[in-house]
Amino acid sequence: MDKLLRNKKAIIMFIAPAFILFTLVLLIPICKAVYYSFCNYKTLHPIKFTGVDNYVKLFTKDRAMRAALKNSIFFMVFSIITQFIMGLFLAALLTNIRAGRNLFKNIYYLPCVLSSAALGLLWMFIFTPKLGINQMMASFGWIADCTEGPQWLFNTEGFIILPIIVISFVALWQYVGQSMMLYMAQISGISSDIYEAAAIDGCTKSQAFFKITLPLIRPMIATAMSLNAIGSLKFFDLVYNMIPEGFLGDKAHVLATHMYTQAFKFNKLGYGCAIGVVLLVMCLVVTLLINKFVKVESYT
Amino acid sequence: MSAKTETISVANHRTKVIHGFIYAFLILLAIIYLLPLAWVVITSLKDDAVLMISPWELPARPMFENYSFAWTMGHLGTATLNSFIVCSITLLFSMIFGAMAAFAIARMRWKLSKLVLTYFMIGMMIPVHCVLIPLFVQFSSLKLSNTLIGIIIPYITFSLPITIYIMAGFFEGIPDELFESACIDGCSVYRMFTTVGIPLAKTGFMVTGLMSFVGNWNELLLAMVFISKEAKKTLPVSLTKFVGPYHTNYCQMFAAIVIAVIPTIIVYCVFANQIVEGLTAGAVKG
Amino acid sequence: MKMKKLLAIGLSMAMTLSMLAGCGGNTPATSAPAEPAAEDTAEAPAADTAEEPAAEDTAEAPAADGEVQEITFMVWDDLEASEDLITKGYKQSVDRFNKDFEGKYHCTPITTNLEEYYDKLNALVTAGETPDVFIASPGANLNDYATTGVAAKMDDYLNADGWKQTFTSDAVFAGGTYGDDGGDGPGIYAIPLNIAAACVFYNTEMFEDAGAEVPKTFSELLDACQKLQDKGYTPITISAGTAWCLSMVAGYLCDRNGLNLQDIKDHKTDWKDEKVIKAGKQIQELSKYFQKTAAGDDNDIATAAFYNGEAAILIQGSWAIGQINGSCAEGFADKVGVFAFPAVDGSSADPNRVIAKSDSLCMSASTQYPDAAVQLIKYFVDDTASKYTAEVGGKIPVTSVQYDEKVAPPELKYVMDVFKNASSTFGFYNESLYDTEAGSTFDNCFVDIFTGTDPEKALDPIQEYYEMNVW
Repeated sequence: MDKLLRNKKAIIMFIAPAFILFTLVLLIPICKAVYYSFCNYKTLHPIKFTGVDNYVKLFTKDRAMRAALKNSIFFMVFSIITQFIMGLFLAALLTNIRAGRNLFKNIYYLPCVLSSAALGLLWMFIFTPKLGINQMMASFGWIADCTEGPQWLFNTEGFIILPIIVISFVALWQYVGQSMMLYMAQISGISSDIYEAAAIDGCTKSQAFFKITLPLIRPMIATAMSLNAIGSLKFFDLVYNMIPEGFLGDKAHVLATHMYTQAFKFNKLGYGCAIGVVLLVMCLVVTLLINKFVKVESYT
Repeated sequence: MSAKTETISVANHRTKVIHGFIYAFLILLAIIYLLPLAWVVITSLKDDAVLMISPWELPARPMFENYSFAWTMGHLGTATLNSFIVCSITLLFSMIFGAMAAFAIARMRWKLSKLVLTYFMIGMMIPVHCVLIPLFVQFSSLKLSNTLIGIIIPYITFSLPITIYIMAGFFEGIPDELFESACIDGCSVYRMFTTVGIPLAKTGFMVTGLMSFVGNWNELLLAMVFISKEAKKTLPVSLTKFVGPYHTNYCQMFAAIVIAVIPTIIVYCVFANQIVEGLTAGAVKG
Repeated sequence: MKMKKLLAIGLSMAMTLSMLAGCGGNTPATSAPAEPAAEDTAEAPAADTAEEPAAEDTAEAPAADGEVQEITFMVWDDLEASEDLITKGYKQSVDRFNKDFEGKYHCTPITTNLEEYYDKLNALVTAGETPDVFIASPGANLNDYATTGVAAKMDDYLNADGWKQTFTSDAVFAGGTYGDDGGDGPGIYAIPLNIAAACVFYNTEMFEDAGAEVPKTFSELLDACQKLQDKGYTPITISAGTAWCLSMVAGYLCDRNGLNLQDIKDHKTDWKDEKVIKAGKQIQELSKYFQKTAAGDDNDIATAAFYNGEAAILIQGSWAIGQINGSCAEGFADKVGVFAFPAVDGSSADPNRVIAKSDSLCMSASTQYPDAAVQLIKYFVDDTASKYTAEVGGKIPVTSVQYDEKVAPPELKYVMDVFKNASSTFGFYNESLYDTEAGSTFDNCFVDIFTGTDPEKALDPIQEYYEMNVW
């Protein structure tokens, strides 16, 4: 048995396809991306190595990048906090009811499996000045006319502009089911003995939640938060489909849309790679931070 | 005695009120979840003029033309087929490759297994965005852009980390005795994989299969960059680009959204419990 | 045991192979036309210097073998679904071409939409699959193709059989003519198909009702708008969302204030020039009369408001004529008047300059079938197509074709009048700047100004862009 399982050839056979694919499609391109990010690389033109030029431009001169960073970080913080609160809240409610638990669970989870491209378009129409929400507000008499209502997706005032806030709520709507499910799975794994013992000691339900449930699901909080963080940094579909290209200029960019525009609209492949690398570094750092601060404490 | 029953009934009463609130809240939330979807279905059966004047009325005569327009003119028919081909092939290969690698990592004995697992796991943290450009350049020069295989390869790769991670968990969970008895029966390690490992990790296949299928079915960015030809576009791309430059027709657009979403909703309704549980199981392990 | 191992090895080999085969199976299909094309590039220019008969010979040779020369044509609209009359005309040209040359040439259109057109074209170029014939706007976009050897030089074809003489004048080629920076030396790299002039369309009924006069100056325009607004009409419908719409007005205002783009390029002045600032302030004055949802409406919605009789003024390219006659209610076309963009009071700038834009066709320098491609382009500017352009599409034809003015939409005559009175033409600003990104930055600046940002501040991005990339 042991000899069988140490069969080197077999191991290589098993690992090889995945390993080769992974190396060719992920590792090598990443190295290339890092290299390109130091180059002036445009389609139809030869590659020219320019050192850190792209990064200097990116962080000192690029207004769209500033907006994109601001918006992406806002998305991340917003989704980490709201998904944590809403997800946990829903999970707690659903574990406390019996009738219809599955029904509600399935309804809230539904948008997670739907195409965010399609949902993005759907919400875009809901927030279009002449349709959806504004039409509803007008028919209830809250506003005189559709066009009088808020310009949900086109108002550019404020530090965080309204469209970004609207989109982050749509994202919450779409993805909170995911966090809820993760927390529910973890909560249902906690033995009921603990709660019974606590109840005998005179522990109220809310106390039990904060003193027992929360600490016990801490590792899952870390996992859910990292998933949220990476997911919201990668954010593309909703933004791309809810705000038509060119609308709002540079103000509604997130990292992914900025990269897409620079690389594929303006042909600046090297510059696009630099944005990609920034995104990668942010993902890695955030994951590390969350795991360090949320997860580790659970062992102390 | 009576005081005690009273407290209990008060407590009962209080729980009932609380439960009432909980249900009211849950139902309200469910409406927020379902209303937009219902709205898009109803609107997709109207025409633009009616939509602008009386948004809330049900259509007098359902306009199924909107659907046939979206299906043929919007190329959504082709796109659905393409999506299906891409996702199925991706599903098949990511499961085979993933299970093979997971088996070697979880059950076989070698020094580097932890390291290799970590190598694969890093893939989970890497956003597709940062390999998009080099991959696009590379695939273009290999004439792989504008082919379905050109998006299938990256899709398989990006499905691998989670597949390997979850499958490794499932393989680890299989009791040692089963492998030992297979060994005594004279099975090779390959037989062990196919006759013991694979059948016993069925749930794992279900989970990873669903995750990769759903994920790839909805993927937009990579497909949008790699595919420029109408005949090769996948569903999310066709849908996104359905808006013509000179003409916007809301109701047809809504029909297109419904077409894009309905298959997933139907599958979800049929398998909701399995999907939700499977995906949770997967995510918990992930 | 050994057998099984072998089997397993075989299995996984088969799996890997089948994947490779999967790649391989698809590759020839896409690469077949492209690879020989690369070889052909060397020969093509040599062959095309030959006279027409020779060219025809090469064209017929494969046809004799029964082999159809398959070419692709990429355009920025869906030929099947579009309701735009110019696009429909393009489709007719392709159909005629395919019918007339059945068994010899065949053209497959690659359609996309305007927003993603250049992204997708660039993707195909990068992949070495440049469409044999593709449409492009003169300016920054065309520069990309003409100066990098993607588009072929057309002079030899134009001179070959008097083709060039069918065009109204050599001036129509101005946008596609390159000097030494041309990929294949000085020459013409794009064939214009039609000209659209940006004009002001107005609803004559509303103007009469409000007692507004056709304005000659900017202040008169504001007056007219005020009168229209007092009467309860939406004076102007415009899209700030589809950025070029607003930037077209911005371009006109800059030009009327006397800005010279060449001066900016040469850094004789910069984007903080008082003329630009003034144009920005004028946009803000004018924006009081825009529809309330201008920020969120795209071009379709904005133009629809004019066609549905909800707004009185639409500032648009003359392609609007095609839409007015294509999709508007019966009788609406008779209510539409056209005037040239008004002058700016007190400015010494020439008020008769007109923004004009021509759709142009390029041929891929690496096309395998240059004769088929040239033939296709000819079908876009032959008499039938040009007549259609004028009589149905409402754009100004580039060839000296006799079209029936009575059949042509009435607006075409107005536009022609504006065009004939024009002292000179200039391009859309967002297509005339240093590169596409500069154009897009310019658009964004003016959207920003429109939303109320002080022009002085809102122009920072374009100023910085030029400091960084141009000056």
